[in-house]
Amino acid sequence: MAARTSRFAFFDSGLGRRLAGLAAANERVAYGVLGFVGISLLWEVASGTGLIRRSLLSAPSLIWKAAVTDFGSGAIWPHIATSLNEFGLGFLLALVIGIPLGLLIGMFRRVDYFASVLLSGIYATPKVALVPLIILVAGIGLEAKLIVVFLLTIFAVVVSTVSGVHSVAQRHLDLTRSFGASRWLVFRSVVLPSTFPFILTGVRIGAGRALVGVVTAEFLSANEGVGYYISLYGTFLDTSRVMLGIVLLGVFGVAIGEIVRLIEKRFEVWRPEIS
Amino acid sequence: MTSTDLALSARGVRMEYRDRSSDTSLVAVENVDLDVADGEFVSLLGPSGCGKSTFLKIINGLLKATAGEIKLRSVVKGREDAMVFQDSALFPWYSVLDNVAYGLVCAGVPRKEARKRASPFIDLVGLQGFGGKYPYQLSGGMQQRANLARALAVDSAILLMDEPFASLDAQTRELMQSELLRIWNAAKKTVVFVTHQIDEAVYLSDRVIVMAPRPGRIIADIHIDLPRPRQLSIKRSPEFATYENDIWRLIAGHQQATADPVQSA
Repeated sequence: MAARTSRFAFFDSGLGRRLAGLAAANERVAYGVLGFVGISLLWEVASGTGLIRRSLLSAPSLIWKAAVTDFGSGAIWPHIATSLNEFGLGFLLALVIGIPLGLLIGMFRRVDYFASVLLSGIYATPKVALVPLIILVAGIGLEAKLIVVFLLTIFAVVVSTVSGVHSVAQRHLDLTRSFGASRWLVFRSVVLPSTFPFILTGVRIGAGRALVGVVTAEFLSANEGVGYYISLYGTFLDTSRVMLGIVLLGVFGVAIGEIVRLIEKRFEVWRPEIS
Repeated sequence: MTSTDLALSARGVRMEYRDRSSDTSLVAVENVDLDVADGEFVSLLGPSGCGKSTFLKIINGLLKATAGEIKLRSVVKGREDAMVFQDSALFPWYSVLDNVAYGLVCAGVPRKEARKRASPFIDLVGLQGFGGKYPYQLSGGMQQRANLARALAVDSAILLMDEPFASLDAQTRELMQSELLRIWNAAKKTVVFVTHQIDEAVYLSDRVIVMAPRPGRIIADIHIDLPRPRQLSIKRSPEFATYENDIWRLIAGHQQATADPVQSA
């Protein structure tokens, strides 16, 4: 309708319409950015006016400055690399052992009974309590950190996998019995696909725990890593760098969550979009 | 009728559930005798708790009877029976084609070969072109078509159907009933069909086996002498209404005064 004119000329213009369309399509993103930027601005203003003490809680501009300095000099990269390495190895170990263990416990009653007391005992114990022992046994090197990450992560993976196996629909199992499917076929065609979303939930929760494990281990004994970076600059009262470390962990956590979400989308073509 | 004409022969089948804590027992199926001839369409009809589904699961081997004997006509290849479940029980992670091929895969047929053998059955049940779809992309009626195709594909002597249309809306249900008769006619199978709907049983069956609860047992065996092939319009014929009325009276006569809740068996 080219002939139509309107007081809202801007909104009728191509650019305006495109912007409005983009905003509608990305409402989630738009509000997300607005929330993040808004709160950061408030923080900046509050610390500028002295409402928040800069020496204790820093300010976005100071954190940014610290980031520019430490990324510019490259000083922070070894810390990130170390933490990523600990995270990756510990997490992988937990998955490689935790998923099969969960499947075994879920599928075989006797394995469940056998492991139940031990597992629920360790599950209920705060894993941090084990750290002195771990240091004693494994020293303060990579192995000790991997053990901490592993212990913090594996239970989420096991518990989630077990509940996945237990939630396999009886009607599907009846069907396999009715057709006389072999045990291996039942596992492949029913148990694994039914359990898969639960395993991914375990992976998602486990990733969060693994990150906690990395930071915990590095707080207690380390000479490199993002957790070490945070605790080191904490003792120097350099709160901007402390905040930078925290932001890095947050970004990393979100990134892992997004990656798991992509995996879920990739593998669950059969699951209808929940609207 | 010689025994070779029989697709199914059940003698004295009894199913008893014992509750150890209260030392009581519930008889779900009591002394059921049933012969089904080759190619016959037989319905088991009765209210919840009459043991009709339990009896079907015993035939299928999903449950083991406390006593009695089940004989199925032996087949040269493939399974003697195949079950069509109440809810479609399709695997949501498989395409329609892979779901229909599943019974064959279970029987040890390689997947590629199973798919090839399954695909004519997709056409037979009227799902041409839907082989690549996933169950969630199908309507309830289409899911039950796929469910039926899966059971037909294993080439069994008997088709066991456990209220397959129970969750469908009334119109889809009627459509599926007439479709089932068409497919039954084409596939030449013996069918044992469980339902609690009188009109469904009368419309589909050569014989309606009426069952009553507590304990689950057979109270009547009624031959339905309506001409085949049957159109849906036959449901409005006086003969049809007479069958419905007779069966309804039979069931109502056995209905207990107290309507205590009994788990659907």
